[in-house]
Amino acid sequence: MSDTALDTARDAPPPPSRAAAQRRSDRGSAWSRRRDRRGLWFITPFMVAFVLFTVVPLLYAIYESLFTTRIIGGTVFSGFSNYSTVLKSGPFWGGFGRVVIFGAIQIPVMLVIAFFFATVFDLGVAKFGRVFRTIFFIPFAVPVVVAALMWGFLLEPTYGPITHLANAFGFTGTNFLSSGLLLPAIILIAIWEWTGYNSIILYTALKSVPRDVVEAAILDDTPLWKIVVKIKLPMVRPAIVMLIFLNSIGALQLFVEPEILSYQGGSITNTWTPVVDVYNTSIANAQYNLGAAMAVVLGLVIIVISVGSLLFRRRSGELA
Amino acid sequence: MSAIGLRRPGAPDEVPLTPETRRQRRRRERRQERQEERDATIPVQLYGLRKGTVALITTACVLFAIFTLVPVVWIIINSTKSQTGIFSSFGFWFARPFQFFHNFSLLFQNVDGNGTYLQWFGNTVLYAVVGGGGATILAGLAGYGFARFRFRGSRLFFYIIVGALLVPIAAITLPLYLVYAKAHLINSPWGMILPSLVSPVGVYLMRTYIDLSVPRELLDAARIDGAGEFRIFYKVALPLMVPGLMTVLLLSVVAVWNNYFLPLIIFSKNSLYPLTVGIGVWSQVAERSGGNSDLYPLVVMGGLVTIAPLIVLFLVLQRYWRGGMLLGSIAN
Repeated sequence: MSDTALDTARDAPPPPSRAAAQRRSDRGSAWSRRRDRRGLWFITPFMVAFVLFTVVPLLYAIYESLFTTRIIGGTVFSGFSNYSTVLKSGPFWGGFGRVVIFGAIQIPVMLVIAFFFATVFDLGVAKFGRVFRTIFFIPFAVPVVVAALMWGFLLEPTYGPITHLANAFGFTGTNFLSSGLLLPAIILIAIWEWTGYNSIILYTALKSVPRDVVEAAILDDTPLWKIVVKIKLPMVRPAIVMLIFLNSIGALQLFVEPEILSYQGGSITNTWTPVVDVYNTSIANAQYNLGAAMAVVLGLVIIVISVGSLLFRRRSGELA
Repeated sequence: MSAIGLRRPGAPDEVPLTPETRRQRRRRERRQERQEERDATIPVQLYGLRKGTVALITTACVLFAIFTLVPVVWIIINSTKSQTGIFSSFGFWFARPFQFFHNFSLLFQNVDGNGTYLQWFGNTVLYAVVGGGGATILAGLAGYGFARFRFRGSRLFFYIIVGALLVPIAAITLPLYLVYAKAHLINSPWGMILPSLVSPVGVYLMRTYIDLSVPRELLDAARIDGAGEFRIFYKVALPLMVPGLMTVLLLSVVAVWNNYFLPLIIFSKNSLYPLTVGIGVWSQVAERSGGNSDLYPLVVMGGLVTIAPLIVLFLVLQRYWRGGMLLGSIAN
């Protein structure tokens, strides 16, 4: 973040004086100005794809969300009526509440486990650290569809081995795919899927903590847990904040796990999460306009949350 | 022999790449990496831990490793079973009849009229290689442009790209579907490949990586020598960008390989499905038929063959996601 602050300073326009203009034309010789323009050639291929496949679709979604298709009368401009439908839709916000609960449990649990193992690997306090690091990363290579399928089999209410295990421990009649246990089941799947990845990122961040700081602490007879909590944790705080941010955006868009588990008998309603709702509204019910409005609302909520947390962090002095 | 003679002074590690020495070199590099890692790690004894602590922590690792491997072991074991076997035998041991090869052969047939696994596999490889590879190339170029050039709007463009991370996939995918319907891209492989070329995270990672690892002075020196910008990019910057590019490639290939929402929406022809959608359809059909369709062994075997290449890829490319898992170091 300090980097961006530097950029800002560097790019600040020079004062509009003659001397400054002179200086600029000295520095910005034809050669270097041409060089700058050539920077555009490097970003153009990406920008073209970006505009065509991100910006235009997004604008088109906003445009579509302002229309309504009726069986009689065709497609008509309807202003914000789709938005008022979405904003008043109980199921949509119910689904939204569900993904918030999902994220509020899954992300902290996952990050605590991930940080624990990242620390373990960084300190080298476990035997065979490299082997474990590799094993923990395997789920990242497993597509979420397949992960959900495998866990769906394991948690299956009649045959699933984990259900058998639960029965053996006295929890007879446990049904992990019932509406009551489905959310915990999906939290479990998400933890399985993402802990290793988050752990590796934290591990990389921990590696950049200067060694002499830790050595000094050791010489002071600081206990290990204190080194971890008081020295290492604060230093990887930016990485943790970034992971919370990225994982939250992912959590709000929860779709694949519930969708796949619904194929396997999971009791997923059509509005279980906002994206499940968008999918069913627009694809299954062919109400594209309403679906587009839902997607835009979801995007706005994500933007509000992100910008809000950014401002909050800036106000509390965490960011320059 | 001549290669040694031609060796540039700045590259003392270059050795002739006969097959044997290449293996030796890889081994030497691996040994060197391990040594560096050991050097960077403070010896455990210095922490003054109680005797059982390491054992306790290792146990925690073992437990989490078991948790991690349970589904993988399950899918390997159950890929050998018949449908009855999958449901009525103990999930973590083998059962007769052993039909691994039979199940595997089913992947080459259109069993229930919903499509052939082999074709989906080919599609996925195509989408992942062209889409993920293309995304890496575009991100590498754009990251270089943003990191090493100042031009009108460069910061604004960059912030817009990073801001795109906040846009839900659904808000982009859904209109794509509507546009495709008009542009005849529904049921075209391009419908999947073209959007996959856009990787804002890739651009962000590459910009930061280039900032850290491609010195401006080096580029300026090449300019003074009279080299053109694209030549400089290709000859000077690109070799230094390789570890970053490998990470971005890995991340984008995985992103395309995992993509479910986009292909689910845009493809109605099963000959274009990627693996994720194909297996999803199978499991849906299997469940709806109430177990009469005999599709479960296919779902299990299909799942196994889907994850196997990626796991192998990750094990092979380990050094890149370790050295290059830039995200962590970048956030600091």
